[in-house]
This record gives sequence, C-alpha cells and structure tokens, in this order.
Amino acid sequence: MSTQERIEILGPGCSRCKQTFHVIQQVVEQEGLAIEVIKDESIERMMALGLMATPGVAIDGKVVISGRIPKPEEVRHLLGIA
Amino acid sequence: MTSLTPLASAQRQPAAEQRYFIAAAVVAALVLLYTQLQRIAEFVTYDVAGLVRGSHLGSAVEFFAFEVPKVLLLLTGVVFIVGVLRSFFTPERARQLLAGRREASGNVLAALFGIATPFCSCSAVPLFIGFVTAGVPLGVTFSFLISAPMINEVALVLLFGLFGWKVAGLYLVTGLLIAIVAGWIIGRLKMERHVEPWVWKIQSGSAGIDVKRTWADRLADGRAAVREIVGKVWIYVIIGIAVGAGIHGYVPTNYLASFMGRGAWWAVPLAVLLGIPMYSNAAGIIPIVQALLGKGAALGTVLAFMMSVIALSFPEMIILRKVLRPVLIATFIGVVAAGILVVGYLFNAVL
Repeated sequence: MSTQERIEILGPGCSRCKQTFHVIQQVVEQEGLAIEVIKDESIERMMALGLMATPGVAIDGKVVISGRIPKPEEVRHLLGIA
Repeated sequence: MTSLTPLASAQRQPAAEQRYFIAAAVVAALVLLYTQLQRIAEFVTYDVAGLVRGSHLGSAVEFFAFEVPKVLLLLTGVVFIVGVLRSFFTPERARQLLAGRREASGNVLAALFGIATPFCSCSAVPLFIGFVTAGVPLGVTFSFLISAPMINEVALVLLFGLFGWKVAGLYLVTGLLIAIVAGWIIGRLKMERHVEPWVWKIQSGSAGIDVKRTWADRLADGRAAVREIVGKVWIYVIIGIAVGAGIHGYVPTNYLASFMGRGAWWAVPLAVLLGIPMYSNAAGIIPIVQALLGKGAALGTVLAFMMSVIALSFPEMIILRKVLRPVLIATFIGVVAAGILVVGYLFNAVL
C-alpha cells in the first residue's frame, strides 16, 4: 500500500492537462490505490506550488512533473510502486 | 497493493546496453542515408520513374524526392536533440536565474532562455505570473515571452533545410534581437501598473522539483518530443514541399516580384499585419513562405510575415489578457511588430 494521499494535476484545462489526468487516473485505478486524484485549474494553486509550466503534477503538495505528460510507468515509479 | 507487473520491470532492465548499441547503429545508418539522398532522389526520379532530365515534371519530382526525406530526417534529428537538451532547462530554473537580474543583461539572458526552455502558449499565464512575482523585471519577462514562440527548432530546421544556413542564421539572430530589444523597451516604459492588480497579490512558492532524472529519462524526453512534434508537423512539411516542388518545376521565377518584391515599400507592413491574426505553427506557415519566395517575393517581406504569424498570435493575446491590461497588450504587439518591420526592411535592403 502506498503512503501517498493526494495527487494533484495542475493546468488551465488544455488537452495536454487532460491527457495527464487520464494517465494518472488510469494508473491509480489499475493499481487500486486509495489516492485522491484532483484536477486543479486555478493559477493560485499553481503559483503556491511554484509551478510554471503546464501540465504539472504534485504529490502531497510537492511538484514532481512540470510541463510534460508523464508515462504510466513513471507515475507508478513516482508513487513508489515500480 | 503494490501489484507491480513483473513483466514491466523485467523488460526495462536487461538489454540497456544492447539497446544503446542498436540505437547508435540506427543513427549511423540514417546519417549515411542523409548523405546519399541526392543520389537516391535522382535514381528514383530518372531511373525508376523514367522521367526526362531537365523536364518540368522531372525537376519537380526530383525536388520533392530529395527534400521530403531530407527535411524529415533533419527535423527528427534536431527535435530529438532539442528534446533531450530541454530536459535540462525548466521554466523554474530559468526563473531562479533571472530573478533580480538587471535589465539589459537580463533581457539577453531571458531571450536565450526563451529558446532553450520548453514552452507552449497554454503555459504563458503561469509562467508570466511566476516570473514577475519572483522579482523578474517585467521587460525581462517579455523578452522570454517573445523569444520562446518565435525561435523554435521547427522553424529553424525548415528554414535551414529549404533556404540554407544563412537564412536560418539570420532568422535566429534577428529573432533574438527583437526579443531582447522589445523586452528592454517594454521595461523602460514602466508598465507595471498595466498588469492586472491581482497578479501582484499572488504568493508564489519556489518549490524546486527535486526528482532526479537519469539519462534514460532525458532520452525518453527526446523520443517523446519527436513523437509529439514530428508526429504533428510531418503532413505540413510534405504539403509545403509539394507546393515548393510545383513552384520549382513550373512557376516562372519573379512572378510575384513586381508586387511583393523589395521595390514595394508597403509589402513589409502588409505582411506583418496579415500575420498577426493568423495562427499557425512554424510548420504550417512554411508552405506559404516557400510559395511566396519561389514566386519572387522578397526574403525580408516573407520572413517578416513568418515572424508575425508565429510570434504574435491572437489566441496567445487572449490568454495573456487574463494578466495584462489592454494598454500593455497593445504595447506588446506594437513593439514586437515594429521590430519585425525593421527586420523585414533590413533584409530587403541587405539581401
């Protein structure tokens, strides 16, 4: 069981952000993880996290991906399960 | 619940060295192929297709058979290398290096970073706010925002492939100069109050991304860039070259020279004006550029048109309207358009 609780996908709602959301949601579903997947489109949140390129991904409030769409294996790796 | 598939991890590890060897062999083969393209194109055109040397159709087909693989190979190689290089540059790092910089040297650095940092216009707003709230001067921020879309690898490769290194080099240098000077002017105009006030109230964190990235990750970035960019623009490249091939074989040169040549003073401003509402990537614009040039339009006019299309895009202005007041947007367009005008006239005068 992974220890993370919250994974945020940040971006203004462009197609690349949506793709990122799908990639992460799929991984979370496939692995059956109890992680909250949130899509946050607000600039304020992005700025609070210090993120400047979209799409971005933050796990428990820490930015791990900036300005690119992650691959499923990468997401698994970031979540500590591969 | 860590039901990790053993297959995935097993696949990744074993043959890393073997895969690098194969990759190196493929690259070597492609380089060899690249050097032989002219011969292959001639063989296909005259020996396989049996066209007559020197005929209209023959020279059009030869041009197409040579240019399409040449530009696509070049584009793939450059996009891959740029994709890998860009994994070292992030906007977050650019911000760190630009914060508190003085103008002038800051403008130069920002314009250079603009080339190296991956950027899409959907990131323009977070990038803008991130920069200005971290203490990057407004003008320096604009230098970045101008150079990032204007000078991109696709534009440079296409210009290099179709018009030679001189045109590509001139584009790079003058594009950089516009970004530097226009940003500097906007800084001098002290337009901070024309930024939407809520922007200044935003607290920006400076969370660095401390995920270690390996060379394998960076090479994967390069491959992803190729898939994404070449996957999107190849069709434009082929259409552009097909148009170019038609012109090459059929249209008499200097056809357009009378009204888009360097003699017509109004050609450059008209080109810039036409370019602003048009929105296209560099690849989409190349067919038009080539068609215009092939018929005798002056190079300065055509480059001005291209710069205007990719650096001043209407959708990006709408996105930036969220953070900039109309006066500042108008100034931004005005200063950049003026820079492009100067470049257009300069090229027409010099070349």
